[in-house]
Formats: sequence, structure tokens, C-alpha cells
Amino acid sequence: MKEVIDINNVSKYFGKFKALDSVNLRVMRGQKVVICGPSGSGKSTLVRCINRLEEHDEGDIKVLGNFLTNDRLCLASIKSKVSMVFQQFNLFPHLSVIENLTLGPIKALGISKKEAMERALYFLERVKIPEQAFKKPNLLSGGQQQRVAIARALCLEPEIMLFDEPTSALDPEMIAEVLEVILDLANDGMTMVVVTHEMGFAKKAADKIIFMDEGKILEENIPSNFFKNPKTHRSKKFLDQVLNH
Amino acid sequence: MIKLKYILALLFIFSFVGCSGNSGNWGWYVIDPTTKSGLANIKFLVGGFGATILLSLIAALISIILGLIVALPSFSNNVFFRSLNRIYVEFIRAIPLLPMLFWVFYGLPVIFQSLGLKIQIDAFWGAVITLAISDSAFTAEIYRAGIQSISKGQREAAQTIGLTQYQAMRYVILPQALRRILPPLANQFIYIVKMSAFASVIGMQELTRRANEIVVTEYRPLEIYTLLIFEYLILVLVISFAVRWLERKLGSDESNSN
Repeated sequence: MKEVIDINNVSKYFGKFKALDSVNLRVMRGQKVVICGPSGSGKSTLVRCINRLEEHDEGDIKVLGNFLTNDRLCLASIKSKVSMVFQQFNLFPHLSVIENLTLGPIKALGISKKEAMERALYFLERVKIPEQAFKKPNLLSGGQQQRVAIARALCLEPEIMLFDEPTSALDPEMIAEVLEVILDLANDGMTMVVVTHEMGFAKKAADKIIFMDEGKILEENIPSNFFKNPKTHRSKKFLDQVLNH
Repeated sequence: MIKLKYILALLFIFSFVGCSGNSGNWGWYVIDPTTKSGLANIKFLVGGFGATILLSLIAALISIILGLIVALPSFSNNVFFRSLNRIYVEFIRAIPLLPMLFWVFYGLPVIFQSLGLKIQIDAFWGAVITLAISDSAFTAEIYRAGIQSISKGQREAAQTIGLTQYQAMRYVILPQALRRILPPLANQFIYIVKMSAFASVIGMQELTRRANEIVVTEYRPLEIYTLLIFEYLILVLVISFAVRWLERKLGSDESNSN
């Protein structure tokens, strides 16, 4: 298996606060990695460093064979291959669903409008909301909006998908429909890094679970071991809180 | 609005007092449309509308474009560009309109001359330049506030679908910001219309200048300036209604999209 993400000794500071502390992580092609941990542990910062929404301060990150630097060409080539789904969906409210989906392919990938439309409709079908294509995002439920956001990310045909707490802003009854779509993607062989508190999802989908606290990776484990015998006291406590609340 | 009605009614009554010839304090005959000289005076005064409107429109248009150009560097990561924006805004905003008008009208031609440029600045363009530049500092701040009000998530989402900074601004941020920017921009237009009265002091034949000229020949400041105020009132009310209409249109659009 080929490694697509290689994070080497990465640290990141916000002022004096050390958000990431010498983090090492490797993700192979097709692997599904779930990152969990208490809030403020640096999970989001870590995924945001992978597509350079945040700049790391120390160490290096290699994505699809390229080191992340401020070089524009390198960034441009990585941006369309690493897509991201946000907690707050971040759909463009002034554009219809279909326009949300076609903007990136048309402007960034330079494909024709017709082709972009076909691609968008295909992915809307995949996230099971083709009938909402011409509505404005605010007319959709939270779960539907997040599925549109996932389709928008897929329209760029990325090699890696990052999910930053994709279900945390959703009502409980909508979490399932979004997780189902993500699981479907996972089964399709997409490489993904998912920050989530949904341990049920982690059990089903993850090849590897990362537990973070205070900017450090405290545990890297396969799901069955992580849930049965967490290695550290912190992860054990965290699991107790998440599973038995 | 009720108050306005009373004032209008009062003025209406006064007008008859004046017209009847029992000369009190009012002398509406100067602008009595039933007399030949009154009609001529009214025609002359109202003839200023064209200049005032044209002056305001061109100044506003330039200000809207200039304001955006001034605002954009404030979003740069580069301190130099950011400070360019700050210096322009702080400096221009601090200059009162009248001194700036004098400087542009009387001073700028001297600079052009010393540079060997044969550029004339007449009263119209002197006023346009002054109003546009003076106003651009304010429009720039309106743009900045509008653009900043769009959440960071929108910019990040644009970035993650591969858009360049320019594309993100053009297709994601500006279209959303413009809806929030339009009402204060329209407000700024009303301000320009009112400030265009300053153009009268450099001899620009707009509403105020024309009023001044009639006052000098007729010695009837009260009636003529009263009319002048109503001229501006009408102009501004028309703009406000147009803005309301526009806001409603955009507002309904916004409720569909947010």
C-alpha cells in the first residue's frame, strides 16, 4: 500500500498555545482513519493542516508525494485532490445546490459546464438528494445540507477526503443519514480522515483510530483493541464518557 | 410623515398670504408660477436638478469603484498593502469637504501646470473629483465591513474546492457581501447628493448655486431657500423610495438564500 499522507513531527502554535505537539501520522491509500479526543485536543487543527487551511510551524507534512509549503503550484495541485467537509457545512447560500456543486469543477478544474452538471447530478444521486438540485441550500434540512457538502467535495474527484466533525452540528435524527453516506464512501475505497465523536461509526468504518489530547497523539490503535483495551488512562476515561453518557 | 403634512399645509397657507399682496414676512410672488417673472424664477431654480443629479451620480459611481479598489488591500496578508488602505482611509476621511474642494479646484491645476500638463479642471469635474474621493474613504469602509461580515467558513470552503483567492472573492464572498453592502452604499449616495451643494461655492450651476443667484437679484432668501430645501427633500425622498424598493427586492432574495 502506498502512503498518501505522511505527517512527521509536526507542531503548531497559536500564539504561545501549542495546538499540535510533535505529531506523527501515516495514512495509506484507501485507509480510513478516525481521530477522536476531547475538545481542544488539536484534532481539527491536525486535519486542517493536511489541506493547509492551517500552516504547521515545525516538522513536515507530505501529501500525495508533495511536501506542503507555501509554493502556489504545490498548493493548487493538492487543493483539488484533498477535499474537506466542515462541521458547519459552509455551503454557499447565494448559490443553488447544483451551483454549489459545479463552481469548483468549472472554475478550479476547468471542465465544461455540461460535464460539471452531469457530475454534480451523479453525486447528488449518490448522496440521495437529486430532487433538491435547484433549491437554495437554506431550504434543506441540516442533514441534507451536509450531504450536499459531501457531494460538493466529491465533485472535485478528490483522492483524500477530510471530515471535520461532520455530524456535530446536526440533530440526532439526521446524524444517521449523513453517516450512512460517509460509510458508503468508505466502503467504496476512498481514503479518509474523519474527526468525529461517533464511536459507532468508528467501529464500523475505521481501519485505525487515533486518540488525541493536548495536541499529542496518545494512542494509535485498531478499533477492536481501542474499544476493548484502550492503552492509556486518558483514552479509557474518554471512552467511558463518550460511550456511557 | 404626519408632521411633514402639517408643515406643508402651513406653508401652503402662508403662500396664499404672500400671494395676496398683503406683504407680511413672506413674499411668495418671487416663485409664483402664475406670474411671468415667478415662473421664470422657478424654471431657473428647478433647472439645477439636472446638474445636481448628474454630479451626484458620476461622483457616486466613481466612489463605488474607487472604494472597492481601496478596500481590497485591507484583506491582504501583506502589511504594506494593509497599511496603504489604512493611510488612505484615515487621511481622506479627515479632510473636510470644503477645504478639499478648494484644494482640488484652485490647487490641483497649479500642480498640473507646474508638471507641464494642460489639464483644466472646471467646476463640474472639480466637484465630481472632490465628492468621489472624499466619499470613497467611506465606501471603502462599507466594503470592508461587508466583506468581513461573511464568515471565515465561506472562504475556507471556497479554498477547499480549489478556488484561487481571486475566484473566492469574485464568486463566493463579493456576491454575498454586496447584499449587505447595498443599503449603506445607498445611504452614502444620499449623503453625496446633499454634499453636492458645496459645488455652488466654486460656481457650479446646480440647485444651491441657482438659488443663491436668484436670492441676490430678488432679495427673497426665505422663500427661495425654502423652495431649495424642498427641492433636496424631493430628491432624497425619491432616492429613499428607490432604495427601499431595491432593499425589498434583495431582501426577499436573501430570505430565499440564507
